[in-house]
Amino acid sequence: MTDFSVIGKSIAMVDAAGKTTGAGKYTDDLSLPGMLVGKILHSVYPHARIKRIDTSRAKALDGVVAVVTGADAPNPYGILPVGHDETALAVEKVRYVGDHVACVAAISEEIAENAIELIDVEYELLPAYFDPVESMKAETDLIHENRAHNIEKDYHHVFGDLDKGFAEADYIAEGRYLANEVTHAAMEPHSTLANFELDPHTGKLGRLTVWSSTQVPYYLQHKLSLVLEMPMSQIRVIKPLVGGGFGGKSEIIPLEIIAAVAARAARAPVKITYTREEVFWAHRGRPRTIIDLKTGVKNDGRMTAVACKVIQDGGAYCSYGVVTILYSGALLGALYDIPNIRYDGYRVLTNKPACGAMRGHGTVNVRFAFESQMDEIAAKLKLDPAEMRRVNLLKPPTVTVNGLRVLSYGLPECIDQVVTRSGWKERKGKLPKGRGLGVACSHYVSGAANSIIRSDMPHSTVNIKIDRDGSVVIYTGASEIGQGSDTMTAQVVAEVLGCEIARVNVIAADTDLTPIDLGSYSSRVTFMAGNAALRAAADVKKNIVSAAAKRMNCAPEDVIMRNDRVWNGGTTLSDYDFTASDSLGEKEAARGHVDGQILRGSVLQTRKEDGPKDHMSFEEAVVAAIDFHGALTGTGSYAPPAAARGGKHKGGGVGPSPAYSYSAQVAEVSVDEDTGEVTVHKVWAAHDCGRALNPVAVEGQVIGSVWMGLGQALEEEIVWKDGLLMNPGLLEYRSPSSTESPEIECIIVESIDPEGPFGAKEAGEGSLAATIPAISNAIYDAVGVRLRESPFTPERVLAALRAKKGMKRIEMTESVDPTAPEKFREHGGSLWFRGKGPMRHPLDPARQGTNAGSPAGGGD
Amino acid sequence: MSLPSFQLLRPKTLDEAMALMAKYDGQVKVVAGGTDLLPSMKQKLFTPPYVLDLRGISELRGIRSGAGGGVEIGVLTSLSTIEHALPIRKDYPVLYEAVKTVASPVLRNMGTIGGNLCLDTRCLWYNQSLLWRKSCGFCLKKDGDLCHVAPGGKFCWAAFSGDTPPALMCLGAEIEIAGPTGTRRTPLSEFYVNDGIARLHLAENEIVTRVYLPESSAGWRGSYQKLRVRGSIDYPLAGVAVALKMRAGRVEAVRVAITAVNPAPFLVKDADAHLVGVVPTEEIAGWVGDLAASTAKPLTTSALTPEYRREMVRVFAKRAVMSAAAN
Amino acid sequence: MKKELIELRINGRTHELAIEPNKLLLDVLRQDLGLTGSKRACDDSSCGSCTVQVDGVPMLSCTMLAASCEGQEITTVEGLADHDGLAALQKAYGDFGGAQCGFCTPGFMMTVRWLLANNHDPSEQEIREALSSNLCRCTGYSQMYQAIRAVIEAEQKSTPTEMVGAK
Repeated sequence: MTDFSVIGKSIAMVDAAGKTTGAGKYTDDLSLPGMLVGKILHSVYPHARIKRIDTSRAKALDGVVAVVTGADAPNPYGILPVGHDETALAVEKVRYVGDHVACVAAISEEIAENAIELIDVEYELLPAYFDPVESMKAETDLIHENRAHNIEKDYHHVFGDLDKGFAEADYIAEGRYLANEVTHAAMEPHSTLANFELDPHTGKLGRLTVWSSTQVPYYLQHKLSLVLEMPMSQIRVIKPLVGGGFGGKSEIIPLEIIAAVAARAARAPVKITYTREEVFWAHRGRPRTIIDLKTGVKNDGRMTAVACKVIQDGGAYCSYGVVTILYSGALLGALYDIPNIRYDGYRVLTNKPACGAMRGHGTVNVRFAFESQMDEIAAKLKLDPAEMRRVNLLKPPTVTVNGLRVLSYGLPECIDQVVTRSGWKERKGKLPKGRGLGVACSHYVSGAANSIIRSDMPHSTVNIKIDRDGSVVIYTGASEIGQGSDTMTAQVVAEVLGCEIARVNVIAADTDLTPIDLGSYSSRVTFMAGNAALRAAADVKKNIVSAAAKRMNCAPEDVIMRNDRVWNGGTTLSDYDFTASDSLGEKEAARGHVDGQILRGSVLQTRKEDGPKDHMSFEEAVVAAIDFHGALTGTGSYAPPAAARGGKHKGGGVGPSPAYSYSAQVAEVSVDEDTGEVTVHKVWAAHDCGRALNPVAVEGQVIGSVWMGLGQALEEEIVWKDGLLMNPGLLEYRSPSSTESPEIECIIVESIDPEGPFGAKEAGEGSLAATIPAISNAIYDAVGVRLRESPFTPERVLAALRAKKGMKRIEMTESVDPTAPEKFREHGGSLWFRGKGPMRHPLDPARQGTNAGSPAGGGD
Repeated sequence: MSLPSFQLLRPKTLDEAMALMAKYDGQVKVVAGGTDLLPSMKQKLFTPPYVLDLRGISELRGIRSGAGGGVEIGVLTSLSTIEHALPIRKDYPVLYEAVKTVASPVLRNMGTIGGNLCLDTRCLWYNQSLLWRKSCGFCLKKDGDLCHVAPGGKFCWAAFSGDTPPALMCLGAEIEIAGPTGTRRTPLSEFYVNDGIARLHLAENEIVTRVYLPESSAGWRGSYQKLRVRGSIDYPLAGVAVALKMRAGRVEAVRVAITAVNPAPFLVKDADAHLVGVVPTEEIAGWVGDLAASTAKPLTTSALTPEYRREMVRVFAKRAVMSAAAN
Repeated sequence: MKKELIELRINGRTHELAIEPNKLLLDVLRQDLGLTGSKRACDDSSCGSCTVQVDGVPMLSCTMLAASCEGQEITTVEGLADHDGLAALQKAYGDFGGAQCGFCTPGFMMTVRWLLANNHDPSEQEIREALSSNLCRCTGYSQMYQAIRAVIEAEQKSTPTEMVGAK
C-alpha cells in the first residue's frame, strides 16, 4: 500500500540531531543550583542482618550535608503488586553483595565517596544461597521470610491432554539446557536527580520533581508516592533522554527513590548516578535458567506435546520475576501449533543481584532450548529444520491451547524469506567443513494485554493541542528510550492530520504535562501509544475537517487532509498536484527555516479577504477550526480488547497480547576446530512487524535485537563466584565490539495487523530470541556438536569438539559438559579463607571449621 | 568514580623528572598514557601522594634510528605511532603485529610503549573497586595477605597482560632505565619478575626511558597470536609471539615468547632446539606449541578457564611458527 | 587538595579554570564547562563514550587528567557541528539510524571524524576497526556503516571544499 504520505517512509528520529551533536540532555547532564552529589554504600556481604549503622563519622565530614539509611524510607515497594519486597535502602537485612545500605549527599563526588568509607555497619552474617537448586532446599534463614524454600513463585500449567499427546508421538526428545546470565548493559548508567520545592506558605518541603533515566515514569511516580508517603499529585517525574534501557530501567531502581530520600533529608537537590559497577549490581537482567524440555513429534515433524520445566535464578528480590516465569511458559504458545502443553515454572530467590525484565522478557532462554531441540529432532528424523517449522505453523485467526489469540501471523513468510535469501536449500549441509547454517524462529508480544496493576484504566492516552500558529503538540506519556517512541507518535499523528511531520512537537513522559501511559516495556509503545495517538489525531481532525468543510462549502466526508494541504476531494482537485515546489513555502514555514512567523502572519492576514475556496493550507484550516470551535484539542486512548486478554487460569494474565510479532532467522557461522572460536558471518533476519511505520527504525530495532542475541550467544555472561559478581564492568562483561559484529540482513515482513495502528506490531524485541538457537544450530551444522549451554564461548565449543573426537579430556569447563550440562559452573578460585583487612569474612570456613553454614557475628 | 587526591608533577625534561623522583622518593607514581594507571586509581588500587606525568618530556617521544644500527623508541611514543611507523612494519613485523592488537585504536592513541612494558599485572580478584575487594577480603597484591586464585598460597599469580613485550623479547630488545645515579641498559627479557607483586626489576626511583630494537633482528619474520573474546578492547587472555630468521627455507634463528599466562612474559626456552636448521612443519611447530604450553601457568585470574588458555598457548604457538615462517 | 589555575583550549577557545589536580578532563568538560556531550559510561576506559580529540587525535577524556591537557587543542562533540547546521556525518547518523539512544553517539562522532579525516576511502575492514574503540548497545553497528558509507560517497561526489566532517 502506498497511500500514505508520512508513515512507511524511513525518516530520521525527531530527536536525532540532539543525539549526534551532544546537545540532547540525559539525566546526568542536568544540574540545579545548589545540587549535591549522592553516593551509596553497598553491602559487602551476600546475606546479613544489620545490627547497627553508625553514620556519625560520615556526617561529621566537612562537605557532607545528609546521610540517609533504610530507617529514613522503610516502606517496601516493588514493580509488581505481589512483589513488594524491596526497600530503597536495607532496613533489616542485606540480601546480596551490592545491596543498598546508606547514602551520603555531599557537595562533591569525592567528599561523598570519602564519607561512605566512614559509615560503620555491624552485620550479623547469615547463610547465603547462590545456586537456585540448592536454594530451593532451604528450610531456614530464608531470603524473604514469607517465601518458603526461597521460591518466589511456582506455576504448574497443563493445557490439553499431555499423556495423549506424548502417546501419539512417534519420537520424543528430552534434554536439559542451561542459559547463563546476561544483563542489559545500556550505555547510560542509571541516573536520578531529585528536587523538592519549598512550600511558599510554610517553608517546609513541598512538591517533589524527579528527573530520571526510566522507561516507566508513571510507575516511578507511584512508587515514590508509596515510599515517601506523599500524594502522587505532589510528585512530578520527568524523563529526559534515556541512553538505552532494554528492560533495565523498566522498574524502579533503588537510586531513583534514594535520590528523593536524600534530597528530602538534605533539603537540597541531589543527583545520583550509578557507577558502572553499581549498574551491574542493580542488574534486573535475564536470569540464568535451567530448562528441562521434552517434545513429542510425529514422524513428519508435527508436534504432539511439549513438557517444559523452568528454574530461574532470580536473585534477591522479586522484581519482575513472577511475570518472567509466566512469560517463559505462556510463550511456549503462539509461535507454533502445539496441541498439548505442560509447564512447570519455578522462580527462585538467591543472594545475588535481582534479575528482572530484559529484552525478550521471559522468552529468550526457553526459546533457545525449544528451537535447539527442534533442530535435534529434525536431525534425528532427517527432516529439513526449516520444513519442520513449516509443518507446525498456526492457522490464524486462532486461539492457542493456552488462551493466546493470534490474528496476524507473518511467520510463514518470514521463514520463506530467510530460506530464500540465505540460499538455505542449496547450501545447508553442503558448506565446507567447519562452516554451517542454522535456522530458528521466535515471537514476542506487542504489549501485555493486562497491565501490571489491574485496573480498567486505558494503557495509553495521548492528547493533542493545535494552535493558531499551526503547530501540532502531542502530549504522550510514552517513554522514548532510543527506540523511536517519539518519532512513531509524531508520524502517526502527522499521517492522520495530513500535515508535515516538522509541524509536530512531541512532549513526552512528564507526569505533570502528559497523560498517563504505562511506559516502555513489553514492546507495547507502537501498538498501544500508537493506537492512542491515532485516536487522538482522529479526534482533533474531526473539528478541523468540519471547519474546513464549511469554508470550502463541501461535505466533511469530501475534505481531504494531506501533505500539509486541505482540499475538497469532491471537486476536480481530488488529483491536486502537490508537487514539492507548490508546498515548499509551507514546508519551510513549518520547519522555521525561513522567517516563519512573518509568512504565517501574512497567511492569516490574507485569509479573511478570501471568499469560499476549494483548497487551503493546513494552517488556514487550523485557524478556521479554532475560529469555529475554540481551542483545538483531541484525546485518544487505548486499552486491549477483552478477546485478547487471555485465559482464566492462574497466571493466565501474562502472555496474552493484542498482537504478536514473528521472526525467522538463518545464521551462517564457521567454527575454528583448534580453538573452538565461533565466527558468525551473517544473519538473515525476517521480522513480521505488522507494518513498518518507519522502516529504518524497524531495521534498527531488528538488527539491534539480533545483535544483542548474538552477544548472549557468544560472548556475554555474568560470571559468579559464591554470589560475587566477578565481571561488573564493560571491560570484563563483553558486549560485542564492531570487529566481531556480523552483517545482519533485516527483511521486513508486513502482515498488517487488524488492530495495530496502520497495522503495526512490535519490532524491538521479538527477533532477539531466535538468534541464539540459530547460531547454536549453525554450530551443529558446521561441526556436529550440540551445545546445550549458552554462551557458546570457545572453551565450551572446544570441550564439546574434543569430546566428540574422543580426544584426551582437558578440564576446560569445570566439569560442566556443555553438551549435557547439569548445573551452573562458577568461576574458579575461592572467597572463603583467612583474610586480612577491614571486611575479613567471619564465615571463613578456615576459621569456622565448617562449611559456610553457621551464622557468626562480627568481624575482627 | 573520582580519583584519589594527589599532587601532579609535570616535568619538562628527564633531568627534572629524576630530580622530582629523588625529592619525593617512594611517594611518586609515574603516569604516561594513563590507560593502565588511571582506571586503577579510580578503583583505589593506587593512592600515591604524587603523580608524575611524563607527557611533557618530549625527548622521550619518537622513533629514530639507533646509533649502532637498529631502532630506538622513546617510551612516550604512542602505540599507534609505532603501529603506523613503516620501519617497524617492515623490519620488525612481530612488533607491528603485536602492537596493533593492543586494546582499541583510541586506547593505542593514548597508551605508550613504556606503559605497555610496565603494565601492572592483572587479576579478576584485583582489578576491582575498593568495595568489591572488601567483599571477599583483600588479597596479597593489595592491602591483604591472601590469594583468591590459589587459596592458601603466598605467591601472587596476577598475570602480566601486555601484548608488545613478548614481541620485543623475540626481537632481543633492550631497554634504557634512568635512575638516581644515571642510566642503565638491560635486555627486556631480564626486566620482568615472575611474581604478580614484584613484577619488574625497576626501583621506585627509576623510569624506563627508551627501547632499543637491535639491528641483528631487523628483517626477522614474525607473528603474534592473541587470545581474546572480542576483536578489540580486550586485554590478552593468552598471547604468543614468534620471530624467526629464515635462510634458504630453513630457520636460522628463532625466539618464541608468551604473555598473559604467567605473572611475567617469558621467552620459551629451547624453542630453537626444535626449529633451527629445519624447514618448519606442522609437526615441528606442534612441538614448539607443547613447549610453550608447558611454560604457561595460567590460573583463574581472567575470563576463560586456565586449562583452555594453556591449550591456546599450544595452538597459537604452533600457528605463530607456521605463520611467521610463511610470511 | 588545593585547586590550581590552568588554561585549557577547548573547541577553539581558551578557558581559564581553577581545578584540583586529580580532576579528569571529562569531569571538567561536563561539570565545570557544561559541555555534557561527552558521556561517562564505563569507569574502566573500555567504552569510548567520552571520546574527545586532543590535537586532532581521539582520546578518552575519562582517562586523562585535565591539568595534563594544558597547551593542547581539545575538540569535543560540541565543536563538531557546522555553525549553521549539522556536519554531514551527524546528518547521516540521523538519517540512517546510526544513533538510537544516542548515548554513545558523541564518542562515535569523534572517532569516525578522525577516520574520515585520515582516510578518504576506508575499506569495510578499516571502518570496523575504527569503530571498535567505541561500544554501542543499540545498533549492532550496522546502520553506522551505512551512514559512514553515505558520507564517503557524498564526499567523493562533492568538491574538495565541502569536506565532510570538518568545518
